[in-house]
Amino acid sequence: MTAQLETPAPPDAPPRTPHRVPLWANPRVGLVVLLVALVVLFSVLRPAFLNTRLTLTPLQSDISVYLVVGLAQLSVLSLGHMNMAVGRMAATSAFTMGLVHDKLGAGLVLSLIAGLAVGALLGALAGLIISRTGVNSFVVTLAMDFALAGLITILYSGVTGGVAFPTMPAGMSELRSDTFADYCIGDVCGPRVPLVVPFAILAALLVGLLFRFSRLGREILMTGANQRAAELSGIPTKDRIVQAHAVSGLLAALGGFLLAANNGAFSASLGDSFLLPSFLAPVLGGTLLAGGAVSVLGTALGAALTQVIYKGLNLLQFQLDQLQLYIGLVLLAALSLDRARHVLAERRGNRA
Amino acid sequence: MTLTATQRSTLPGRHLWQAPEFTLAVIAVAGFAALAVATGGNLLSAGTLGAFFRFLAVPIVIGLSQMVVLAVGQMNLSVGALTGFCAMAAAWLMLEAGLPAPLAVLAALLLGLFAGVTNGVLVVLTRINGFIVTLATMTIIQGLRYGVNGPDTFQGYSPGLREFGRASILGLPAVFLVALAVAALVALFFSRTVPGRHLLASGGSPFAARLSGISNDRSLIVAHGLSGLLAGVAAVLTVAASGSVNATIGDDLLLPSFAAPIIGGVALTGGMVSVTGTLLAAFLVRLVDVMQAQFGINPRWVDLIIGAVVLGAVLLGTVRTKLQERSD
Repeated sequence: MTAQLETPAPPDAPPRTPHRVPLWANPRVGLVVLLVALVVLFSVLRPAFLNTRLTLTPLQSDISVYLVVGLAQLSVLSLGHMNMAVGRMAATSAFTMGLVHDKLGAGLVLSLIAGLAVGALLGALAGLIISRTGVNSFVVTLAMDFALAGLITILYSGVTGGVAFPTMPAGMSELRSDTFADYCIGDVCGPRVPLVVPFAILAALLVGLLFRFSRLGREILMTGANQRAAELSGIPTKDRIVQAHAVSGLLAALGGFLLAANNGAFSASLGDSFLLPSFLAPVLGGTLLAGGAVSVLGTALGAALTQVIYKGLNLLQFQLDQLQLYIGLVLLAALSLDRARHVLAERRGNRA
Repeated sequence: MTLTATQRSTLPGRHLWQAPEFTLAVIAVAGFAALAVATGGNLLSAGTLGAFFRFLAVPIVIGLSQMVVLAVGQMNLSVGALTGFCAMAAAWLMLEAGLPAPLAVLAALLLGLFAGVTNGVLVVLTRINGFIVTLATMTIIQGLRYGVNGPDTFQGYSPGLREFGRASILGLPAVFLVALAVAALVALFFSRTVPGRHLLASGGSPFAARLSGISNDRSLIVAHGLSGLLAGVAAVLTVAASGSVNATIGDDLLLPSFAAPIIGGVALTGGMVSVTGTLLAAFLVRLVDVMQAQFGINPRWVDLIIGAVVLGAVLLGTVRTKLQERSD
């Protein structure tokens, strides 16, 4: 599901890479091959990798969280922007969910909606500052990250006296531990898929539809490809920037909710680990930092690949330092290969 | 001293008080005076003042390290991790390999330079955005940093180096003077040397630089190499100023490394640097830190305040530019 603008670049824009790349040069195909190869490798080295209950089910929960977090970053990468506050936005939203439940006694759905709303508002605020002042998105969201990091700890210690809410809305523990196999209609039970997975799939589908078919999504991509051209074409680019950042905040909040469901608590440190994976998934999947093009399917594959590597190296009992070392090396290798493929494809295209 | 490729500061019609650094300097002096009064003069006592400047050294150098890559329009996310890794490597060389302190210091600097050049070469060879390349190398270096000594702490290394970390010259800590000297060298590099001017030209407009016969690739490698070298300097200062190092060194340096140049008025788009601005901004951030310690405020408020200050400084800069454009 790649959404890319096929409008010709205006004459004063730098030449863009050609849109038609052969199948073998498609980064998604490379990712699938790499993913399959790694799963086979890990299964051969450690048969426990294929254990459904111990490995595959938690793996699906992890992929769900980081797919949504990757999509949060993807929404602003579409503009050529960054969201450095993705983790803190998630943490602030999770705080709201905990607050609404713990102090006001709201249920799961209401807490979730309140949290998502706060996430979207934070994103919109970042977008508003960026579009009204013209300050680089990196700076604005970095400053926001600083500010929210301070705010979250103060809020938690003020409201809960600690770093986490003592209670969770009813239904959160089911989201954490149950799979569809626990729900049967007669003799037919569901697959061993955690309950959080549909949230991520739904989010991915909606984001894909947004960027592929909706007017809003296309106009966001257009703004990302060339803001001035978009402006001249009558697109309210400032509004589009605010909306893209709001979507990013909303998805960050959803990612925070899913992680809280997996961890079993709304805590202050939630989202600390979001920043690096949020870039890894979309970038591995072929989404550019320059804006104007996104790949939702690639993001899903990128998220799956990173989590498979983490899980596999964990099972092979790698230490923390080696884990980081290999993740970094794999990232560099994957990106360099991708680049090499592109160069080759371009060269071949020129000759033909 | 704001230096751009076109040397904006020499254009007619610009007064000293219009320079962004002037506002910063006023705020810094006012803030320092206010804090001195509020603490009843405690800030001016020799011990407090010494500590104030001693722990200003690393933020200055790390801010410059980020500024150098910002000058070519790149970012270096690996500065913090690299500082920690070089510090751990230096301590390991002294304690485990038994190297004398000067050699270990030299090795740490070379290690930083090597890592920086590697970043630059990777950016040039792969044509991948520097943000992503250094994100990857940051992860790798974090792994290496932890690998030097696991979760354990190194302490009790070279007494000479520790002596240097504690020493004062004319009432100012030696490490702070080293940081100032490094800042002066960086300023000189950008204003007087050919590679420095090339670097700013590449950052300002890569296309124009290429047409003028400047190798943008070389500028990228020089910038990243210099950034790594400065991270090495920060590592040496850390080892000297603090009596022990462990694998968490550098974790809290990444965000301040951006805060200093950005508050100091360095644009992320490249083509300009401001050594004075970066120095003053690091001073301001340190001022907030000391204020927190003096009044026993929750340290978390510091993050909140610094976030607000970064945003405020940037907004102020935008407003000023708009006003100037209108008056021109």
